[in-house]
Amino acid sequence: MSSFKRDKKEEEDGGGNPFQNIEKTAVLQEARVFNENLINARKCTQILTKILYLLNQGEQLGSTEATEVFFAMTKLFQSKDVILRRMVYLGIKELSSVANDVIIVTSSLTKDMTGKEDLYRAAAIRALCSITDATMLQAIERYMKQAIVDKNPAVSSAALVSSLHMTKIAYDVIKRWVNEAQEAVNSDNVMVQYHALGVLYHIRKSDRLAVTKLVAKLTRMSLKSPYAVCLLIRIACKLLEEEDTANDSSLFDFIESCLRHKSEMVTYEAAHAIVNLRKTTSHELVPAISVLQLFCSSPKPALRFAAVRTLNQVAISHPAAVTACNLDLENLITDSNRSIATLAITTLLKTGAESSVDRLMKQIATFVSEISDEFKVVVVQAIRALALKFPRKHSVLMNFLSAMLRDEGGLEYKASIADTIITMIEDNPEAKEAGLAHLCEFIEDCEHTSLAVKILHLLGKEGPRTKQPSRYIRFIYNRVILENPTVRAAAVSAMSQFGALCPDLLENILVLLARCQMDTDDEVRDRATYYSHILKQKDQGLYESYILQPLQISIPCLERSLREYLEAPSDTPFDIKSVPLATVPTEEEKQATVQKTEGILTIGPSKPIPVSREENYTERLSTLPGIQTLGPLFKSSEIIELTESETEYVVRCVKHCYTKHMVLQFDCINTLNDVLLENVRIQLDPSEGYIILSEIPCSKLPYNELASSYVILQMPEDLPSCFGTFGAVLKFIVKDCDPTTGLPETDNGYDDEYILENLEITLGDHIQRLHKINWAAAWEAAAARGYIEMEDTYSLSSTNTLEEAVKNIVQFLGLQPQERTDIVLEGKTTHTLLLAGVFRGGIEVLVRTKLALADGITMQLTVRSPDSDIAELIISAVG
Amino acid sequence: MGIFQKLVSFLGINKKEVNILVVGLNNSGKSTIVNHFKDGENKTHEIVPTVGFHIEKFENKNLSFTAFDMSGHGRYRDLWEHYYEDCHGIIFVIDSTDTFRLIVVKDELDTLLQHPHIRNKKIPLLFFANKIDCPNALSSVKIAASLGLERIMDKPWHISCSNAITGHGLHEGVEWLTQEVRQIVATKKY
Ligand SMILES: Nc1nc2c(ncn2[C@@H]2O[C@H](COP(=O)(O)OP(=O)(O)OP(=O)(O)O)[C@@H](O)[C@H]2O)c(=O)[nH]1
Ligand SMILES: [Mg+2]
Repeated sequence: MSSFKRDKKEEEDGGGNPFQNIEKTAVLQEARVFNENLINARKCTQILTKILYLLNQGEQLGSTEATEVFFAMTKLFQSKDVILRRMVYLGIKELSSVANDVIIVTSSLTKDMTGKEDLYRAAAIRALCSITDATMLQAIERYMKQAIVDKNPAVSSAALVSSLHMTKIAYDVIKRWVNEAQEAVNSDNVMVQYHALGVLYHIRKSDRLAVTKLVAKLTRMSLKSPYAVCLLIRIACKLLEEEDTANDSSLFDFIESCLRHKSEMVTYEAAHAIVNLRKTTSHELVPAISVLQLFCSSPKPALRFAAVRTLNQVAISHPAAVTACNLDLENLITDSNRSIATLAITTLLKTGAESSVDRLMKQIATFVSEISDEFKVVVVQAIRALALKFPRKHSVLMNFLSAMLRDEGGLEYKASIADTIITMIEDNPEAKEAGLAHLCEFIEDCEHTSLAVKILHLLGKEGPRTKQPSRYIRFIYNRVILENPTVRAAAVSAMSQFGALCPDLLENILVLLARCQMDTDDEVRDRATYYSHILKQKDQGLYESYILQPLQISIPCLERSLREYLEAPSDTPFDIKSVPLATVPTEEEKQATVQKTEGILTIGPSKPIPVSREENYTERLSTLPGIQTLGPLFKSSEIIELTESETEYVVRCVKHCYTKHMVLQFDCINTLNDVLLENVRIQLDPSEGYIILSEIPCSKLPYNELASSYVILQMPEDLPSCFGTFGAVLKFIVKDCDPTTGLPETDNGYDDEYILENLEITLGDHIQRLHKINWAAAWEAAAARGYIEMEDTYSLSSTNTLEEAVKNIVQFLGLQPQERTDIVLEGKTTHTLLLAGVFRGGIEVLVRTKLALADGITMQLTVRSPDSDIAELIISAVG
Repeated sequence: MGIFQKLVSFLGINKKEVNILVVGLNNSGKSTIVNHFKDGENKTHEIVPTVGFHIEKFENKNLSFTAFDMSGHGRYRDLWEHYYEDCHGIIFVIDSTDTFRLIVVKDELDTLLQHPHIRNKKIPLLFFANKIDCPNALSSVKIAASLGLERIMDKPWHISCSNAITGHGLHEGVEWLTQEVRQIVATKKY
């Protein structure tokens, strides 16, 4: 979008991009002159520029095309023209991933990197590393080591940065360059020092002790390069965050001392680090905030921006500290730099009182049209935070949002507005009708299919439960008439929700669905046919299972199960119950992904594809003998530590629950570099009723490598006996070995053992959490379908607050909180917590707990489940 | 322009640029040979197995040679052909002590001669029976016979014994090549 705008502008300017009209095939044709035996350097440089331009515009070359250009380009090595040669390096880097046999230039590049022409050397290193794979790296290792310690800083930096990139493909080789990197850390050049530290850290980062030593050494030696100091601050922070016990204050002292560094970059980095540390106390915060406050009034826009952005980020976690800067922030709301102004206002919004909301919103409205989408998103996020904090302000905020919705803007921006409105609707019943109305208006003119689909889904979910559901039908049906097939299909699904929940609208809906059965698109017709058929049955139970509750299973697992079924055809029909359920990520897991993306020096793609724990494990477990007979994996627990930290052996356990079996996976690490463990197994002392079916030891456990040993158990028939405590002992054969080679010195070892902590099997291990779209309907339907209901009242003596009680219950039962009932509103004395889940074997469990606070907490717990044993189990487990 | 260029080149005022491809099995001595022709200061002191190829330039009798020193390692031999199309002469280096692999040499040579970019062209072929200093080296006559060089009718070819380390035999061979290339270049319109 933005590039499109720019092009247009340039057109108007009359000036022009000389490359604007070039075309791939023509350029490739031109590139044939590279093969001529008299090289015209100027012309070739121009053609290479065009090729690079095309590639940067996103043009794709097929591998044959790329290979052809690549080999033609290799002939340009005969020219001595410096500019041309450097263009060739760039060309090599760009094509290295598409063309075949790119290693052909290895010798040519090594020659340039070790040659006399300094202008070639650094760039040749970068090109060389881009064509080198793990197997070829050995061939150039010697040159790389020399280059790292080269006197020329450009060469040294290039070698270091390339090494860093190559840790991805050949960590074990790069690891051997640690001495060279160490030497480069002492360089006088600021960039070399910085890059060397980066490499050193990467080589050691998996070894906590080594990192600690590195940091301790470097913090004492006072690095010359401010970049290196900034990196050191980041590494120190990471250590501090990982540290379980906050006894090592030297790291924090170092960061704090950096607040007084002479370079602004370093002082900012230190301040940013301190305010973002999770454990910073308000006392420790003061000097850092003062630095940021000072920056707020700096004449340099970059510093003002950095400061206000940081304050904005921590406004929620440290409101008091940020309020100290309110005066400075007020001065910035009229800053000529709109980005700074936006951040200042949104920061004030986050920390300000309810009374200042109107004033600030007015201020922001004066320039919201001038700021970029990215900052508009910041504004939207501030509004979302405000809406949660001041529910009474919903109408001001909602109006503002709907005005923003009407503006121009990209998908991300629009999606964040829609998301905010959706959150407000879900959180604040008073905002619901107005919010839905705004969204209805928005989809009338929404160019983003994905957003329209999302909103239609929401209308289907919320609309039927409003006072006047019929008013939404028109908006939804309009989509069927006017939109593309994807949106039409979503609209059909939304309408059917109304049909299922509003009996008086049913006849009309059926008429509309009948019209949809004439649609030109298969999917739309299919959905219309499906829903009208079910709706015509007029059976609440069917509505519940086939319209209101969507499929709860994990889609990737379904895909795999179906593939396996097709590969091994059998007479028994495919059973959808054998597919594992989709899991709801826990708050911590969500947090973890956020944190990961913010990590320091992340290389490579940082967004992992979200797969559930069970999917990850299934693949690993499938290699165990005898596992196939156990059926599908139902649930995998979180990782449990069975050893104290910093012991000789580290053992962690994951409990995998199957329909009738439990598989315990013990991940072991041996932290002694002078011994090799063999035949490593876990001797279990299970609680009564459990039968050990098999034990799968791990044959070898070398120093610092993770290996797993397994125990497969059959669970007792009797449900209450399924929970208990297992004793565990790690057993193994020890062989002494040479720490440098890791090879055992003798053939004879001796038996040894190591006592582990007890392992608890809890109720939560047998229950998979489940998210119900509409809990109330599910609860009612459960009664209608003849679920067993049990109820009991308890008094919780050990907990004093409702929050704590809710947290404990959720954790203990391992069920999923519904409709945000895990959040207790402040100042309330009663609370209802709604939970849902599935017990192994696919038995649904719904729980409603009513909590009241008065001299301790009283709890009334009601369970509904199709199986009376399980209902009873829950009731008795709590007691 | 054609006439003028030809005249100039005939008088030897303007140096002609020619591309020479240096091929042969790995360890036969290609890089050592090419290195020998470089000026004193540009000489490499240490020769390591080539990965891919590299380009070296040297001159002989007003002819400016661009030598593509290819790697002879099995993995890279398929890549030679990328450089066939625009070469004016080929130097094929054979390790005369490596009797065991002569059959592989013959194989590679046949493949080269069959290649569409080589087959119908009158490209001069210079063979170096290298490492002649070693005690168990085969004579150039034996090598010519076992490679079946006599079959090559449509291309001028020549075989020289050489010792790339001392440079013995190299000049004689390249002299011949220069002569041949000069003729071809003179008859072609460049
Ligand atoms: N005794 C003797 N040794 C030689 C002679 N020519 C080359 N060598 C040695 O043979 C080895 C291989 O030489 P290179 O020039 O690297 O061979 P190459 O053909 O370029 O090999 P690749 O690049 O791997 O294809 C080196 O150790 C040379 O010193 C020679 O005429 N006599
Ligand atoms: Mg070589």
